[in-house]
Amino acid sequence: MSNIARPKKVKSQSRNRRISLGVTYTILVILSIIWLIPLVWIVLSAFRCEYQADGTFIGKVTSNFFPKQYGFKNFADLFNATYYGVPNAFPKWVLNTFIIAVIDCVISTFLVLSVAYCMSKLKFKLRKAFMNISMIIGLFPGFMSMIAIYFLLKSIGLTGNADHPEYSMIGLVLAYSAGAGLGFQIAKGFFDVIPNALVESAKLDGCTNFKIFRRIILPLAKPIIIYQALMSFTGPWMDFIFAKVIIGASNARYWTVSVGLYQMLFGSQYSDPNFFTQFAAGCVIVAIPIVTLFMFLQKYYVEGVTAGAVKG
Amino acid sequence: MKKLIVVLLALMMVTAMFTGCGTKEKGVIRMWVGEESAEFYQKVCDEYVAANPDFGYTVEVKGMDTGSVAGTITNDPTAAADIYTVAHDNIGKLASTQCAKPITDEALIAQVIADNPASYQQVIYSNLNDVKYLYGVPYISQALFLYYNKALVTDEQAQSFEGLREAAKAAGTKAITVTGDDGFNMSFALLAQKVTDHSTTVKIYEGADSASGGSKGESNCQGDDTVAIYRWLQAYAADPNGFKWASSDGWHADLDKNNLGVLAVIGGAWHYKTAAASLGETNLGIALIPTFTLTEEACEGLTGVAAGDVYRGGTFADCKCFMINAHSEPSKYASEQQLIKYLSSKEIQNRSYVECLNVPAYTGSAEFIKQCFDEGKVTESQYNLAITQVGMAEWGIPQPFITGTLNTYYYSKNAPSVLRAIVDKSAYPTTGDIILTETESLEGIRKALYMVEYLWMHGQSPKDFPANLPDKA
Amino acid sequence: MANKDPINKRRVGICVLLSFVTLGIYAFYWLYLLVKNVRSLKNDTRSCIGEMLCLILVPIYPIYWWYTRGNDVKRLLEERDCQASSTGSLFLVLLLLSSFIPLVIFIPMGIMQGDFNSLPTAVSKSHKANFFSPIGKFFRNIGKMFTGGSVGTKLSYFIFGAGNIYHKQYIKGGIFLLLQIAIILFMVLCPSINGTPYGYKALANLSLKNLSKGGEFDPATGGMTTGSDCKLMILFGFVTIAVIVIFVILWYKNIQSSYKADMDKKIGKKPTTFKEDLQSLLDQKFHITMLTPTCIAALVFTVLPTIFMIALAFTTYNDPDMNDAGTTLFHWNGVQNFARVFTGEGSLGFEIKNRFLPVLGWTFIWAIFATLTCYFGGIILALLINKKGLKGKKIFRTIFIMTIAVPQFISLLAVRNILGEFGPVNKMLMDFGWTNHAIGFLGLNPADSEILAKVMVIVVNMWVGIPYTMLMTTGILMNIPADLYEAGRVDGASTTKMFFKITLPYVIFITTPYLISSFVGNINSFNTIYLLTGGGPTHTGYQAGGTDLLVTWLYKVTIDQGAYNTGAVIGIFTFLITATITLITYRRSKAYNEEDTFQ
Repeated sequence: MSNIARPKKVKSQSRNRRISLGVTYTILVILSIIWLIPLVWIVLSAFRCEYQADGTFIGKVTSNFFPKQYGFKNFADLFNATYYGVPNAFPKWVLNTFIIAVIDCVISTFLVLSVAYCMSKLKFKLRKAFMNISMIIGLFPGFMSMIAIYFLLKSIGLTGNADHPEYSMIGLVLAYSAGAGLGFQIAKGFFDVIPNALVESAKLDGCTNFKIFRRIILPLAKPIIIYQALMSFTGPWMDFIFAKVIIGASNARYWTVSVGLYQMLFGSQYSDPNFFTQFAAGCVIVAIPIVTLFMFLQKYYVEGVTAGAVKG
Repeated sequence: MKKLIVVLLALMMVTAMFTGCGTKEKGVIRMWVGEESAEFYQKVCDEYVAANPDFGYTVEVKGMDTGSVAGTITNDPTAAADIYTVAHDNIGKLASTQCAKPITDEALIAQVIADNPASYQQVIYSNLNDVKYLYGVPYISQALFLYYNKALVTDEQAQSFEGLREAAKAAGTKAITVTGDDGFNMSFALLAQKVTDHSTTVKIYEGADSASGGSKGESNCQGDDTVAIYRWLQAYAADPNGFKWASSDGWHADLDKNNLGVLAVIGGAWHYKTAAASLGETNLGIALIPTFTLTEEACEGLTGVAAGDVYRGGTFADCKCFMINAHSEPSKYASEQQLIKYLSSKEIQNRSYVECLNVPAYTGSAEFIKQCFDEGKVTESQYNLAITQVGMAEWGIPQPFITGTLNTYYYSKNAPSVLRAIVDKSAYPTTGDIILTETESLEGIRKALYMVEYLWMHGQSPKDFPANLPDKA
Repeated sequence: MANKDPINKRRVGICVLLSFVTLGIYAFYWLYLLVKNVRSLKNDTRSCIGEMLCLILVPIYPIYWWYTRGNDVKRLLEERDCQASSTGSLFLVLLLLSSFIPLVIFIPMGIMQGDFNSLPTAVSKSHKANFFSPIGKFFRNIGKMFTGGSVGTKLSYFIFGAGNIYHKQYIKGGIFLLLQIAIILFMVLCPSINGTPYGYKALANLSLKNLSKGGEFDPATGGMTTGSDCKLMILFGFVTIAVIVIFVILWYKNIQSSYKADMDKKIGKKPTTFKEDLQSLLDQKFHITMLTPTCIAALVFTVLPTIFMIALAFTTYNDPDMNDAGTTLFHWNGVQNFARVFTGEGSLGFEIKNRFLPVLGWTFIWAIFATLTCYFGGIILALLINKKGLKGKKIFRTIFIMTIAVPQFISLLAVRNILGEFGPVNKMLMDFGWTNHAIGFLGLNPADSEILAKVMVIVVNMWVGIPYTMLMTTGILMNIPADLYEAGRVDGASTTKMFFKITLPYVIFITTPYLISSFVGNINSFNTIYLLTGGGPTHTGYQAGGTDLLVTWLYKVTIDQGAYNTGAVIGIFTFLITATITLITYRRSKAYNEEDTFQ
């Protein structure tokens, strides 16, 4: 309690704090390294350009973490190579995926927002029933319905039929976005936080529900729109199973990039481990835009994740 | 804006519905072949179409994964090509589920009978409404053989498992691995034959019949030679320089000359590219699956074998076949058979060897292979690759799965896991009705082999073991 | 009136559903209750078994019964100050109709039950709205609108849009009429795709009887008949049922719309014009506009396929034990596929019986560990990053987000190769001399240790999952009310104590729903297992490997092996487990129970 003791305590406290801060930094840096190792390794592999003594290129996984030589050969090969009988397959796959992702993003976001708004701000019969049913349907494992979706799409000609293989892309967009509306929970959690008073007062002013949605809710919903758009845009870049079933094994020209990359290494007798460095180069090209998007939209992503967490 | 896009998409859907349901464009025969030779067959077909103006069709060839193409076809035969190629062991399933159409062109049948070895001719027929029809036209033959590291293994050493072990001891590594632990890659031990007289007691679905109410034939894997071979393999696997397990995507890393996980691997022609990349083309040795000599311990307590007996590892000596899709239009039928007749002719099989290294299926192809090498059309390792496969055919049988059920019972049931358990001397399975507590003693191995045979025949484990083994399941 | 209210009330929807589930048995019991109700209205306490028997066995008697009892009920209800929604003559019409379409019998039964339900009860039970109550209302309204409606409304029962046209709402009426014609044409003409018809034929096909085997082969022409395609038969049958359901809904809506116009007229309002109807779609009925696209899309691409797959669980689709059970020709085999899980019969049954419990057990162990490690790991990481005075928060956070942003098939395959037998980690371990042979961390090699693979997938999963929890908790940590800490500080609590007494409970309290959903998510976590170990150390064929979860096993059985019937059995079991967990926890959670009050 004495006057002399006090500064001492402050001093020791600040030293303690500095030590604990130092420890925290150390832990965080170590963790960051652990978290980055696989990603760094993929990037390094993409730029790896090693040759054997007899001059053949080493395309597969090697045990040295850091390459002995660097170069752009993998990228050049990737863009020029013929995979599965498709010349310049990789750029085509990227374009396919981009088209699918953009359309899927627009449709999915629209569906999710409209459903979430209804569930959150409108009162109507069967509302609770709709919520329960959508929750129950969501619990069935996804592949169970995959084959049925294939045959439904096939019956309207939207799988890789021989005359119009390109229609399979429409089929895939439908398969991706059709169920999106049922995943409204996160967006609903977000809308729930928007005060009802806002809606009520607009109603008193004679606004229709549509106007309220457009003029009041949508402008406030920017974070969740971006979150949903981000999620549905990145979806097609990450899926390597559904796309193959819908588009078909014989239809390599219209594969998405993830199916193509995956098939380079796995899933077929002629998948070649020597494609690994090219695979890594492809991964880098796929990952760059997605990671950049995530970085720029980080704030919204966090908001979405948090909204989802609190509302479950 | 959003709505506009939605409307556009709906319009696209509607147009797709109308155009998508239209009939198939006439004048195209679609064909699926293995990925590795799609380009070659496209070229050959184009030439054929150009040379025969009255053929009336153009041909569109696509490469498909040989391993999974049969599954793709059975899942949706209407989406499959008019002509497709599969390994012959799928013929039973494809025929019985009406994914394939019989071949009836007499000239083509005559060609198949004249060209192919008798062993193939037993497995390319199947029954349709109790009439036996030809379904598959062989055009490539395949067999497992040995790839080895020439830098560390002499040609002499590569002739026997013991020699490989010796080389492995010197290099401080393991001798040999396989490209997967499934029933196909592990067949080398099961199908091993006595070097002196090609004898084995193993029977797999011998005399099976695909007619309705047909039989599964006869199977046997409880012979003393099989027991002895597995006892020998147990010891070889336990040896620090012996046999090593590998997975289908891990074996090439083992073989890699920088890793030196193993010195040799038993694989097929489709592993050539990967194996060459692992060892370097010049460093890649190719040989028959080696021989091994039964030891005293392996033969102890067995009557049918004697220590010192030499066996050579066996293989499934298979063929890949052209087949016609049941959903292909009848109007194309004659042309399809005409095309298949051309593509499976000796001439084209020979060309496909020179250009794609596909080993011809016809009898006596060794002569041509040798001739190509003499004329310098192929490199030495390419020659070895082919001639070894032809050589292996002597030590192998075609996969005897004339119906889909037999294929499933042999491959997809637990028999491969039980065989693996024997090699590992481990118990199998850990749960369930019937438990193999050990597979190390003579009795344990006999029980396990009884179980394997039972699985082949019934697709499930036996309820209990008979008192006296060996016993016919 | 009797002291005790002997009227038996029950939900119409549940009754109908139970009748379907019990294949009609419950319907008889229900009918018995209705007969009894009529008797107790008349204060007649004699046994009604005889009447029941007459109803079932004597051919024309039911028509007579429904006509007279309908009138009786109307009269008796009016005596009790209740409005009956039907008359004997409506019952007469419906009964005649039901002799053609037996299912119609549920309409009069529903209407009558609805009337009984509307009687005042001695002890009023709070009427909690649930999924079935609209169905009960549906039946009550059908009767009410017929008796109370205009000629147009009555006509609407037979011709869609008649009522609207009667009220001069031509466009609306026309749309209804067109839809009716379209659906009836669809049902009658049976358009077919790939040789499999829709329409009434599709309903008949659902039995999977009278299949044409195909395979009639003409060697001369190469013509080969293709047999029936059972999977399309089932699929199209369900599509047709969906169309019928839509037809019934349209029928009801068309009557309702006409009845509403009647009511408008009654109170002197003009029936709404088409333009007004459209406008209402943007206002009072905005939810219809907003939900229709999702409902249609989800019905076609989610609900139907799911039902289809459930149906496959009861068939012999591609059964490996039957040589000719392909993907096109198969038949119903009841609950045999489920029974096999317990009896182990058949070759697939053996494996399922053998592996189901171990895989289920591992799935749970995995889900528990994966959830808890990621959850607490994430919270700790968030606390570290958000430590006061720490600089570079954003950089650290960005680093961890990166692992979320990179597609899993890339990052997990990278991890798989790094940990692989000849990857950098094993090389390092061997260079340091810590091990003399490569360690099979991920069970990629058949001889690798299963336990190690299991531990490793949980560890690697932390790498995948921790950043999510970290991000989520970061948001929550920032929102912890500052006064909580103030209070703690005043009490002289240490930092550690405050963490355990304030921070942790708060975060856990807020994120409980997340914990549950992430547990369910982990049960269905496909990518981590499939990409890391492929289920290995592997077994062959249908068999589940050492690290296979139910969901990856499902993948093997269905996509790899094509045994969709067995796959569906595994899928249904997985669903039952996740659904049970979700429903129990979700219904108890605050989020669910206070969902309405929260608004």
